[in-house]
Amino acid sequence: MTWRDALSLARRNSSRRPGRVALTVLSVALATALLTALVTIAQTAQTRVLDQLAKGGPVSGINVSPARPDPEQVDQDKPTAGEARDLDADAVEQIAALPQVAQVLPVVTARVFVASPSATVSGRPIRPFVERMVGIDMGRPGLLPITLLAGRLPQDGSLVDVAVTEAWLKRLGVARADAAQLVGTEVRLAAGRVIGRGRDDIHGRWTRLTIVGVVAQGAGAGQLVVPIEQAELAQAWTVSGTDGGEELGASTSPYSGLLVVAEGIENVGPARDAITAIGYSSSAPENLIASVDNYLGVVEIVLTAVGLIALVVAALGITNALLASVRERRREIGVLKALGARDRDVLRLFLIEAFVLGLVGGALGTLTGAAIARVVGAVVNGYLADQGLAGVRLTVSPLVIFGGIAGATILAVLGGIAPAWRAARLPAVEAVGA
Amino acid sequence: MKRRGDPRASAVCGNICRVSVALAIDARGLGHQYATPSGELTVLDELTLAVAEGEHVAVMGRSGSGKSTLLALLGGLARPQRGWLTVQGHDLAELSGDDLAAFRREEIGFVFQHFGLLDTLTAAENIELAGTLAGTSPAARRTRAVELLDAVGLASRARHRPHQLSGGERQRVAIARALANRPRLVLADEPTGNLDEEAASVVADLLDDLPAVHGVTVVVVTHDRLLAERAQRRVHLDGGHAR
Repeated sequence: MTWRDALSLARRNSSRRPGRVALTVLSVALATALLTALVTIAQTAQTRVLDQLAKGGPVSGINVSPARPDPEQVDQDKPTAGEARDLDADAVEQIAALPQVAQVLPVVTARVFVASPSATVSGRPIRPFVERMVGIDMGRPGLLPITLLAGRLPQDGSLVDVAVTEAWLKRLGVARADAAQLVGTEVRLAAGRVIGRGRDDIHGRWTRLTIVGVVAQGAGAGQLVVPIEQAELAQAWTVSGTDGGEELGASTSPYSGLLVVAEGIENVGPARDAITAIGYSSSAPENLIASVDNYLGVVEIVLTAVGLIALVVAALGITNALLASVRERRREIGVLKALGARDRDVLRLFLIEAFVLGLVGGALGTLTGAAIARVVGAVVNGYLADQGLAGVRLTVSPLVIFGGIAGATILAVLGGIAPAWRAARLPAVEAVGA
Repeated sequence: MKRRGDPRASAVCGNICRVSVALAIDARGLGHQYATPSGELTVLDELTLAVAEGEHVAVMGRSGSGKSTLLALLGGLARPQRGWLTVQGHDLAELSGDDLAAFRREEIGFVFQHFGLLDTLTAAENIELAGTLAGTSPAARRTRAVELLDAVGLASRARHRPHQLSGGERQRVAIARALANRPRLVLADEPTGNLDEEAASVVADLLDDLPAVHGVTVVVVTHDRLLAERAQRRVHLDGGHAR
């Protein structure tokens, strides 16, 4: 008997007890759905938590400060920096050449005066204040430790786009959930330059910008996020003052910091060691991420185990259903053998029935599980939106889909081995009942 | 599958000639017992039986006389515990596993009292099933099924499931299936046991014609005296012996 004939016969046999078959498939589908949903939710939660820890940037992100490392602090996630040291193009080149480093993004910060004509607090216009703008390379947004809460990031190279942070919302008394209402409003910034003798004689270079987005960011200390070109212009203006920018706190370092992306989370430690060896202080939530990742890994294992237990129970259901089928079909199996079926033909017939039950149940269950995960994701996103938090993007990985279907099918076939073996060993004389 | 070379038995024609007759079945000293709670139950004891090729034999006997056991032994459904049994030249004591399955597939056609048709298959598919197990091509087994359904007068019922057929029709389908792989021996176990008189008569006619039309040997186990009387020879089982 060919596999094709066996499959056709098994398919026909499955129609013999539609109720039993439907219940068996349902049990497999439910178990697979549970497994798929749990694994998807666990993986999404893990991604989300790590994303929060990395503030939207890569989990392998490292911040390099324009300072020497403090030898006693090098093992800390957030070490206290040593004495100041300029971060220049040479330093960027050296760090970028490290084998553990994938990308290096310079950060430039500049102090600016801020006037926001349309902004009010308790109905009164806010007074101009001094704030720090953080200039970063907007051409590689995926590498930035920035989470978008509303709107969009400033366009690469734009001199009129600005994004504000949550601290800005707090300053204006705007709830996080209402962050979107700031998008499109105007803000005026002025880089200062001392043109006389000290603070009393400062010349401002004013620019009008539009707030295009609200972000949570970990690129540098400052409530205004702009393309690096804007920050460089502001810094150059301040440094061009008669005091070289000293009065207004401008740094002599060409870059205020570097965002370094290591080649994978396992290279964060070695990369930081190498940066320390070059002579710069660095920080990264390395230990925190490793600890959290370990805990989340345990959670994922537990949830997967729960799903697998359900799947094993479903496989036992298949065993039970097929054993009942063998009991009912003793005479039929005898007839098949009387017609010349070999033991392995009968074995194959029952294993194919188990395979089909597992495959159909697994496929239905995986689809259902993905749908359940999406529903849970929508509910969670609704909750996060109420809290003014960014939503999660739930994706069912192909590995989970393949694993769900393959796992259900394999377990079903394993569950079918005992009944199939029993059927194959039934004597042919069952046909006549002698 | 091992096969002995054309076993023959002598037949005496009066006092003047002696001819060799090819044997489809040659059983000598067959013995079979079942274990029961009250001890061993002997159903066949030193049974000897010879059936010539193309012969139509009826095996009769009361319930429990070992008729079905004999049929199971002849068809390779069970293995002889004692004695020597050759069917169509095959020493059944030497066959096991796949060889025994091949023997059943190629040499034997079974007809059961309970018909043994698969409920989930149509009449034609039930006949094709024998070819499926023998590895016959789909086209060839389909052609054979149509031919046999026509032969048993059920060409118009090819697509009917067993539950849509009468008892007599089911048994005719079963006879057609028994012939699907062109066996040389058809073994029928109470083929009219579940049929009314009219249907039984049709089935008896079909079985009667098998040696002449299909060139097969037929052994029918039956209680039905009318069916037995159609056979060329009747064998009675009693006390484990054949008379």
